[in-house]
Amino acid sequence: MALVKPEQDTGVEHGDVLLAFAEAVIGTDRKALDDVRAELAGALGDVAVSGVAAVAANFSKNDRVANGIGIPMDPVVFKGTEDLRAEMGLNAYKSAENTFRHM
Amino acid sequence: MSLYHDTAFPVREDLEAAHDDQFDRFAGAGTWGTAAQRLAVIAEARKAGIDAGLLEAPDDGGAESPTGDLPKMVREVIHTLAATPKDFDMSTYETAREAGLSDPEFAELVAIVSFAVDLDVYARGIGVPLRPFREPRKGSPTREVPDEAVPQEAFVPTIPNVPDCGEFGTELYGGHFKPYIMRALSLVPDEYRAHVALEQAQYNPLPKVPVVEYCHHEGLTRPQVEIVAGRVSALNDCFY
Repeated sequence: MALVKPEQDTGVEHGDVLLAFAEAVIGTDRKALDDVRAELAGALGDVAVSGVAAVAANFSKNDRVANGIGIPMDPVVFKGTEDLRAEMGLNAYKSAENTFRHM
Repeated sequence: MSLYHDTAFPVREDLEAAHDDQFDRFAGAGTWGTAAQRLAVIAEARKAGIDAGLLEAPDDGGAESPTGDLPKMVREVIHTLAATPKDFDMSTYETAREAGLSDPEFAELVAIVSFAVDLDVYARGIGVPLRPFREPRKGSPTREVPDEAVPQEAFVPTIPNVPDCGEFGTELYGGHFKPYIMRALSLVPDEYRAHVALEQAQYNPLPKVPVVEYCHHEGLTRPQVEIVAGRVSALNDCFY
């Protein structure tokens, strides 16, 4: 749930810093990004910064490929995630239509 | 001089090489676009990010490139995908088609805009200015469409999974099942291959994705990686 409600505890070490970095690196507040990058380096070490940036970059790519090409969620993921999707509010995303229009 | 020589943070060699390759690819002819057209598209994508405040314009201007004379409707499609991907839907695709793009041209545009955003987000993440685009190289688009691509459930045709993908698809996919997020660009196999190359350098080698104990990034655990991935996708309203 912390992925859509970042004020909640992730249960992962330094999860709060990672969530803040993910939000800042694709956001508009450059100072916030610079601050959280320094915090991230302090918490996980300099070597982790490139990895976190790479993952954020990769999913910035994948989200655009998915929404741009209009692909549906793979059935193996769709099945069994009804409750989780509803709880997280994912069904309200505009891109959910790429899955639901096939049902 | 290495691509990220000016960062304060260690960058893995294979990651830097993958990004270097992609900057080279932008400056060469694609399957459908000339080098000049491809550079115009990614320059427009970068402009969209700068206009939206998501990217900082480089001080020296060297990271910018002429956006050329792209049709207004194509520019709108690029801006939506680059700056507000949560708003991209079938009507945006239809706008691209009305603007005269064929399905393979559209797929190549989606690919290179997505890759350009990827590289710019990474630069911002490690605290360096946007990297300069390279000079266009001579060459002609190959305009090859894989016979194996068929209409499935996406806006554009895709090559089905193994075993329904023919000899070419089997080779392209390495004989293994591929989730739709990877097959999405299979209408333009060269862009599919570039997508896979970035995925393997930035996230995980594909065979390692299901191995939850495996993490490709020093200093991070797999749950930490998944938190970043999931938060980015939630902010982009990506249902997939």
